[in-house]
Amino acid sequence: MQLEHQLSVPAPIDVVWPALLDPQRVAPCVPGATLTGVDGDSFTGTVKVKVGPITLLYKGTGEFTEHDEQARRAVLKASAKDTRGNGTVNATVTLTLSEEGDHTTGVVATDLSITGRPAQFGRGMIADVGGKIIEQFSACLSEKLAVVVTEPASEPVEEPAAPPVEPLDLVHYARRSALKRVGPLVAAAMLVLLIGALVRRLRSRD
Amino acid sequence: MIPSNFGYVAPTTVDEAVAALAEAGEDAKVIAGGQSLMPVLRLRLAAPTTVVDLGRIDELRGLREDGTDLVIGAMTTYYDLLRNPLLGKHALLIAEAIRTVADPQIRHRGTLGGALAHADPAGDLCAPALALDATLTVAGPSGRRSIPAAEFFVDYFTTALQPDEILTEIRIPKHTDWAARYEKFHRVAQSWSIVAVAATVAIEGGVIQQARVALTNMVSVPVRARGVEEALIGQTANGELIRAAAEHAAEGIEPMTDGNADAAYRSHLAKVLTRRAVATAVGA
Repeated sequence: MQLEHQLSVPAPIDVVWPALLDPQRVAPCVPGATLTGVDGDSFTGTVKVKVGPITLLYKGTGEFTEHDEQARRAVLKASAKDTRGNGTVNATVTLTLSEEGDHTTGVVATDLSITGRPAQFGRGMIADVGGKIIEQFSACLSEKLAVVVTEPASEPVEEPAAPPVEPLDLVHYARRSALKRVGPLVAAAMLVLLIGALVRRLRSRD
Repeated sequence: MIPSNFGYVAPTTVDEAVAALAEAGEDAKVIAGGQSLMPVLRLRLAAPTTVVDLGRIDELRGLREDGTDLVIGAMTTYYDLLRNPLLGKHALLIAEAIRTVADPQIRHRGTLGGALAHADPAGDLCAPALALDATLTVAGPSGRRSIPAAEFFVDYFTTALQPDEILTEIRIPKHTDWAARYEKFHRVAQSWSIVAVAATVAIEGGVIQQARVALTNMVSVPVRARGVEEALIGQTANGELIRAAAEHAAEGIEPMTDGNADAAYRSHLAKVLTRRAVATAVGA
């Protein structure tokens, strides 16, 4: 399944590009995500998602298989597995950034494949939840990058301690516009979407 | 499949239930009739640490009149509601929707409160509750509060209920002797609505005095079809009027797309089902 989302970050492309490739910077922006390890271009982590009665914990790995600084294009492959056996998620995410004055816009194209129970669910909720996650990701990233731009003196060598991780929770989604911690590691975000899809057709009568 | 292990508490009063929920922490889950939660537990898509069962709380069952309102305990089953003549008299739309829900076994176990708190976008009771301007009373550690149906449904399976709150009653303003019809489209008898329409009208001497129309499963929450309502009110009920009014059904709505139907098809269904629901309700 193909999904496409737009990003818009009020920061120059030279700031946004490295940030997007840095799991340490991006992971805290993904709702429910915890980064458990980084090794060069690859990383491991978990994403906890809660939609209504359903709580899923996806555990997996991601790797930047391609990054072309000239074209401002990066490809991220991620795969994850629900810890209670509710299937797997594979995502190939292609990020393309472009410069618009001192703003950066981007296209996040995702090719998702879902196995296990999620596969039977429809696409409507995925696209919907996905849109919200990317929106949060974008807002979080904008916030973090804006800080970097206004305080160029302090090189962000030491990132502040990761905020406590909360699962993606649609109930509180709408209200947490401050988005203190919601950030998007795009790949992880995609995993979250997948999980949302699972929820879609979980019904007694199916 | 067999659910993961979980603790189980079955309090007998609302206060005890609220305390049990607070004590059990954020990974606790309330169970009402269990007709939606049990499948989720058995699929292990949910693994709560504690399940708080409301089944033994007598104060949450029953239907009573309170002035201009009908008050329904959240744990009243569909079956018990249908047997009570007050429901058909004052909130026929709820009764019409219940008749279309699943099968008799599920209607004996499933509860109105459970359906609303679960907030499945394809659930059949959410749109009628919205159409009738129901108010939901919830109990939590800091007391009780009321939430209008229009603010209760937030997103897919997500309501304004906080994790430490319990839905206790549904208060519906009496719509005495209003005509009503719940019209749904699904592929087989017990499958979920692809789209459904809840319509109820007050009609006098062939003229529609008031009208309420709400749609199921168009978007992630139930929505009112105000354009239809406006087109009906004050008019003489006839086929031509209803056909024209139903054309407004999907106005201002961007329906979702899923494996069953795309957005354009959902809009089409909304119009057709609205026409059928209103026409059947008024007998036109």
